[in-house]
Amino acid sequence: MFIRSKAALAFAIPALVTGLAACGDDGDTAAKSTPNAPAAGGGQATGEVNVYSSLPLQGASKDQTNAMVDGIKLALEQADSKAGGVTVKYESLDDSTAQAGTWDPNQVASNARKVAQDRKAVAYIGEFNSGASALSIPILNQVGIAQISPANTAVGLTTNEPGSEKGEPQKYQPTGKKTYSRIVPRDTIQGAALVTQMKSDGCTKVGVANDKEVYGAGLARLIEIKAKEQNLTITSNAGIQKDAANFRGVASKLKSEGADCFVFAGVTANGGIQIYKDVAAALPDAKLYGPDGVCESGFTNPEKKGIPESVGKRFKCTVATLDLTSYPGGQQFLKAFSEAYDEDNPDPYAIYGYEAMRLVLDTIEAAGQAGTTREGFLAQLFKTKDRDSVLGTYSIDENGDTTLTDYGLYTVGPDGDPKYESTIKAAS
Amino acid sequence: MATTDAPPLPSAAAPARNIFAELLSKYGLFAVLLALPVFYGIKDLRDQGDLSPLATNIFQGLSNGSIWALIAVGYTLVYGIIELINFAHGENFMIGSFVSAGLWGTLGLTLATGPLGLVLGLLLTLIVAMVTCGSLNVMIEKVAYRPLRSAPKLAPLITAVGFSFILQNVGLLWLGGSPAGVPDLLRAQDEVATIIGIRVQRADILAILVTIPLVIAMVTFINKSRLGKAMRATAQDPDAARLQGINVDTTISLTFLIGGMLAGAAGLIYALYQTTIWFFQGFQAGLIAFTAAVMGGIGNLKGAVLGGLIIGVIQQISDSRIGSEWTPAIVFGYLVLVMVFRPQGLIGEETREAG
Repeated sequence: MFIRSKAALAFAIPALVTGLAACGDDGDTAAKSTPNAPAAGGGQATGEVNVYSSLPLQGASKDQTNAMVDGIKLALEQADSKAGGVTVKYESLDDSTAQAGTWDPNQVASNARKVAQDRKAVAYIGEFNSGASALSIPILNQVGIAQISPANTAVGLTTNEPGSEKGEPQKYQPTGKKTYSRIVPRDTIQGAALVTQMKSDGCTKVGVANDKEVYGAGLARLIEIKAKEQNLTITSNAGIQKDAANFRGVASKLKSEGADCFVFAGVTANGGIQIYKDVAAALPDAKLYGPDGVCESGFTNPEKKGIPESVGKRFKCTVATLDLTSYPGGQQFLKAFSEAYDEDNPDPYAIYGYEAMRLVLDTIEAAGQAGTTREGFLAQLFKTKDRDSVLGTYSIDENGDTTLTDYGLYTVGPDGDPKYESTIKAAS
Repeated sequence: MATTDAPPLPSAAAPARNIFAELLSKYGLFAVLLALPVFYGIKDLRDQGDLSPLATNIFQGLSNGSIWALIAVGYTLVYGIIELINFAHGENFMIGSFVSAGLWGTLGLTLATGPLGLVLGLLLTLIVAMVTCGSLNVMIEKVAYRPLRSAPKLAPLITAVGFSFILQNVGLLWLGGSPAGVPDLLRAQDEVATIIGIRVQRADILAILVTIPLVIAMVTFINKSRLGKAMRATAQDPDAARLQGINVDTTISLTFLIGGMLAGAAGLIYALYQTTIWFFQGFQAGLIAFTAAVMGGIGNLKGAVLGGLIIGVIQQISDSRIGSEWTPAIVFGYLVLVMVFRPQGLIGEETREAG
């Protein structure tokens, strides 16, 4: 599902000025999209709509989510809060609590209900965590509000492919209509990417642990499936009690199984730091891997109370974000972001926040007057095809999934934050 | 014939039942406690011909359990003397960890600090953590429990819960809601030796070396010293103790001071041992330690230690053999069984009611 780090750092911002088609000089740079969308109606649409985001702005993921909010605001500012003639108002909601240090079920439901009751609301950008979206999707589905997640990866939110649970994704769609979509590739691809990487690093026996949440348990199942396909042995897949004082028992089990690599499918807040420390100690030679749930500075950086440097040196992780400069519209996005926020090296998730809002704005504009209604917006969103965006060209398929498939491989950089290494092209 | 044969049947069955019941009540508890280790011991012997995996589980369990024991002693001490479950004790322990980690930063203790600096720094940290937590506990007693000493029992229970949440929020504001890694000053999981297949780490030595002397000192203090006798007298009958010239208020304060100091020491050891701290650790540890105190026999110091060690071992076996997600259910399943066989706990209560 999401998460990740202040990875951007160490980005060699330079180079890579891929011929990025220029855009407006004021920064309306990126995304001009939805080319084949019908310009509904005759004259320019008018009116006012509300758009919300719901992200965990506190806790281990805050670097990523606050960057996303900045990206969302940047897109809106560039468009002067207009989608065609329609005025767009945006409000950022927090789905976390200080107490939980991550998303909180009550807060998620409260945010979704608030938006559901707003007659002018047409779109909801969120959540960051798949487990959270599992709660908000049904609430928004019942009132027909389109939801766009800039970070969810759990496979069952959109499909019943292997890795999903029984009843998914129908249980999230009480009306039977699809209202949820996402702009990051799902875990089917991340699972394959992780397995591909582990195999190429020489792993032979991989121990897996998961935090038993929608995202972690689903990803762990996918890793098992993909490992089987690629003939990589999984020694065990253990669900953990996330608030246990330590996981030395789990680690000694992995040791007795002879694991030479370890991956934790879960998020930082669910015992992530402790389990890596304990496994690293019990298996001093094992390579350590993590998904986007732990690929964030709050996990990797000792200065931010993350794992120690000695463990970080053995750790690699995957995230749906790439080096910002690797994106087709990355350079221009960086320039605009830097001008707006005086931040040259934003977390890569900023671009997903930006693209989510661009998608909303372009969808409203493309739908014409119908874009000011929930039904019209939703119908138009699912018509997104070959959209030319800052992330590259993609479509939203009939399940609500993006057709993008790239995952980034990260290590821990000298500053302790995740550092982009390469793009993994994993076949789903 | 039939009539003459019939009577012996029930009388023969009755003794058999009695003997069974007697055996069950006498040895059932042992059977329960030994079930897991024996089962996995046989499995280890069958699978790989030696008991080293089980021995490793038990050793790591004793190491983990000694921290629970240290916290459990604080619970049981206070319960023994005023029959109050000091719910804030777990949070006090958490504050001990936070104070310790904070002080490391202030003193500049890092992985690069030399052995002498480290020993002196940690000694100072231990003293500060113990004094802070001891004082905090005394303050809590004065503010939240003493005024309610003659109030219905539920009243101090609620104030205890209240203080527990207040301290939890202090922790939350202090370090935020996420678990926070702290410097691994002792390189806690470095291996010191391998003895009969058991990997002994620095953390294990730390936990055992600190807990055992502290508990022995505590038991000796309570059994032998004048103040300890006053504590025991107050525990048995505060009014009679007062008539004997014992200052009951001071004695109770002393009990809270000692309990708090133990929590402070446990907080430091926990931070060194786990190298991850968070505001919720006190709730978790408090629950486990309280369970340990009840399992061993509330009010009984040796019982608290025994309960802590047993829970540590059960947790470790469960984590490594059954699955970490089942551990809480197994620990509390054990508690239920122990209570069924011995309602007074393994060693027996030492409270006013229990005599």
